[in-house]
Amino acid sequence: MRADWPGLARRLDRGVEDIHVGTREPGPGFGKKEMVNEPSDAAVIGLSMEEPEAFGVIYDRHAAGVLRFLGRRVGAEVAEGLLGELFRIAFERRKTFDASRASALPWLYGIGSNLLLKHRRSEARRLRASARMVAADQAPTRRAGAAALDARMLFPRVADAIQALPDGEREALLLVAWEDFSYQSVAEALELPIGTVRSRINRARVRLRELVEPAGKNRVRTR
Amino acid sequence: MNPIDLARRLRRDAAFEAAALERGKATLMAAIRQTRAPRPAPAIVPQVPYQDIPAALAFLERAFGFREVPGARFVSPEGELLHATMEFAGGMVGVGGQGHHGAVSPMSGGAESQFISVQVDDVDAHYRRAVAAGARVVTELRDHSWGERTYWALDLEGHRWRFGQPIGGG
Repeated sequence: MRADWPGLARRLDRGVEDIHVGTREPGPGFGKKEMVNEPSDAAVIGLSMEEPEAFGVIYDRHAAGVLRFLGRRVGAEVAEGLLGELFRIAFERRKTFDASRASALPWLYGIGSNLLLKHRRSEARRLRASARMVAADQAPTRRAGAAALDARMLFPRVADAIQALPDGEREALLLVAWEDFSYQSVAEALELPIGTVRSRINRARVRLRELVEPAGKNRVRTR
Repeated sequence: MNPIDLARRLRRDAAFEAAALERGKATLMAAIRQTRAPRPAPAIVPQVPYQDIPAALAFLERAFGFREVPGARFVSPEGELLHATMEFAGGMVGVGGQGHHGAVSPMSGGAESQFISVQVDDVDAHYRRAVAAGARVVTELRDHSWGERTYWALDLEGHRWRFGQPIGGG
């Protein structure tokens, strides 16, 4: 389904000159910012107040990234089911988007984070499976001795530790660790002051370290 | 190893169906169209009487996926909901109190005098949704020789509904 609304196209063209031309972040993990000669997300969302179909442009820009994010957390099947729902909610809440932000991506991820709370079981299952895979990969190395054994015990513990984090800490941690979000982007996604993000990440770090290395001994080397 | 790096090792991408992005887009654009252009009311609108209108609205949405038409409620001066309209695909039904205009809910009348036939995009999914929401299936989902797959269900007050989809890509 491609967008073909002549009126919208005209207005987006005009937007290049007189609405707002911004830098668009291609999304975390995709290298540096690039200057693009097209309306910013904020401009498109602004336009979608009058021309609701314009919101389809936000989908075209970000859906693939959002889907990958959801998939990493809850697997393909649940993620595919959540994708349309997430953008429908975003569309309904588009008035709340802070127009001073050029990219809508952190905002969309934040809506996704909320939806994911209802899928904790899928999330736990996927994390445990990932832990088993990483642990299994460790086994056939040259130094298949103590290090590999440790790793087999280590990653399931890491998975459990992540699952045991309070929701807010887990969310902040995974946005940083898996999505390569800056603290600023996490703050935008979770609608928190950046100081709160920093302290959540720090608490998550401490908890993980405690849970993974209970007595501070038995230090594990995985390399 | 630093805890963030440890967590990063558990990052794993999922493999998606090729059509996943298109389906998500279809969901979004359908929601957008819904807000934008309220369809002109169809020429024929069945009026369905219920003892409990709010319960009926909730059930019809949960079980059958109907949506209430915004801003179309009739409310008495005392605040009682007298009538609402629901839409689904291109169709509409009125949901009103029983006893008005001689119409009676099967719950008190003891009989159905008609049923309403609805065409859906995915009758299997619709069936699952209806069953999960407590609709009483009275004729099981199956294929018919005339090229349609249908099931029949009673709603919470016993009105009979028929849901169907043409077989083989409708």
